[in-house]
Amino acid sequence: MSMKEKRMIKAWLRGFFTVLFGLIYLFPLYIAVVNSFKPYTEIVKSPLTLTLHPTFENFAEAFRSSNIVSLYGTSILITFSSVAMLVLISSTAAYVIIRRNNGICKFLYAFALIGIMVPPVVTLVPSIKMLSMLHLMYKPSGLLMFYGGAYFSTTIFLYTGFINSIPESLDESAYIDGANTITIFFRIIFPLLKPCTATAIILMGMWIWNDFLNPLYILGSTAGRTITTGIYNAIGAYTSKWNLVFANVILASLPIVILYLCMQKQFMNGLTAGAVKG
Amino acid sequence: MKHNKLHDFLLVFPGYLIYTVFMIVPLGMTMFYSFTNWDGISKKFKMIGFKNFVRLFSDAQFYNALKVTLIITVITVLIYNVLGVFLAVALNRKNRVCAFTKSAVFVPTVLSSVVVAFIWSYIMQTDGGVINTLLALVGIAPVNFYKTPLDTIVMISVIISWNGLGLFLVIYVATLNTIPPELMEAAEVDGANGFQRFFRITLPLMMPGITINSILSIAGGLKQYDHVKVITGGGPGGATQTITLMSVEKAFEYNRRGYSSAIILVLFVLIVIVSAVQLSITKRREVKY
Repeated sequence: MSMKEKRMIKAWLRGFFTVLFGLIYLFPLYIAVVNSFKPYTEIVKSPLTLTLHPTFENFAEAFRSSNIVSLYGTSILITFSSVAMLVLISSTAAYVIIRRNNGICKFLYAFALIGIMVPPVVTLVPSIKMLSMLHLMYKPSGLLMFYGGAYFSTTIFLYTGFINSIPESLDESAYIDGANTITIFFRIIFPLLKPCTATAIILMGMWIWNDFLNPLYILGSTAGRTITTGIYNAIGAYTSKWNLVFANVILASLPIVILYLCMQKQFMNGLTAGAVKG
Repeated sequence: MKHNKLHDFLLVFPGYLIYTVFMIVPLGMTMFYSFTNWDGISKKFKMIGFKNFVRLFSDAQFYNALKVTLIITVITVLIYNVLGVFLAVALNRKNRVCAFTKSAVFVPTVLSSVVVAFIWSYIMQTDGGVINTLLALVGIAPVNFYKTPLDTIVMISVIISWNGLGLFLVIYVATLNTIPPELMEAAEVDGANGFQRFFRITLPLMMPGITINSILSIAGGLKQYDHVKVITGGGPGGATQTITLMSVEKAFEYNRRGYSSAIILVLFVLIVIVSAVQLSITKRREVKY
């Protein structure tokens, strides 16, 4: 065998094992998809294969029992408003803290970082007391405030690092042209923070969308459930009816997986653009 | 430049108000409650000094929760970082095969932990689960993944890792892309083999990514709640309970908020200490070129 042939075989083998690994990684999802189209008796008999007679009955039943549309409504409302609020409050604060390099701002920076090591669960119990005192308990707005407090440190940390790398001469020339601080920030600086904002949106969006423990206790069941707590609740009602479990699993995941597949590039780049500097 | 003080205030104030009211004050309250016998309902409670902590450190349930939490953390941190670095290096090529596998590993990251836990609890079932059906095809007797609490915890750790690996892979790939290709070429010209290039160049230059990823993975492992809650609920008899699970149970099912606060405070201190130690180790190894 010539060197060239050897190299080609090596490349083929490498490609083969790479694809094989990817397929094995996706295998659990394949199981969820194929079994969501089978009646229960068929899952028990043959859990691995595609079905010859797909049924949509599981989806219809899941749709009837778990009120999936309202779950999506709650999740979208909470994720969207929390992420938008976090981006706004932390980018503005980070800008002033970095640009006015005085004692107060140094203190505020250190103060903001206290929370970075605090997992939300540490403040959950007192937050519930705080939220009930402010009449925000069992309301989406209460969960919004909780996330604002819980993730402020992380987002301000991302933004301060990024704003540091933007030259101050930009602010100065705008100032000479007569712009005030708020105008300078929203017209000139904020657009330049796009990579960092993308990272914040995707990271916070994923954490908040997938959060389970906090909405379980803060929202409870009266104010409507999120996808995670709603699915947990719905599936808990029929533990071993796997056909319905899988139909619920697919209904809860399909939109988010499609969103990811459509915006894959933005997802991957966004996750790292503001975090890993070249 | 003269700055408008009012504008500065308007930009800084909202964030700090929310942060103070919903993070700093509750954090202080957790610390305060941990020295009380508050039950979460009544208006009256007593300061009981260090009693909660004394009870905690003689509570077998707490030591078991600590053990479970540490096992999950060690396994997930190892998988995330060792497999993460390996996959990043193996998949760092611009072709469709590598792009496919990278996306495949990332897909579970966008799924909710609850969904992932339900899918896997079916796959790992002893009777009629997918793994055991596959094993039966090649003539191997069914495996009981719930035989001992340790087996269950190891299984859950693998499930958590499957769920989260994508994020770590993406960060490692991004760090890898910051390494100038000339460095690799120069090393190759100088006759360094694959192993030498990996351990002498790639790994040291990936340290910033390793720092971020170890912090994320350690904190994530120590506060684990979701997967365990769905798969075992902490059972049987609390044998697979993590610290977070135990604290939440004490707070909301037994109404012992003071004791629960002490438990969660220990978790917080643990995270701070482990992260500080970890930072001092990896930060020192970050190199400049």
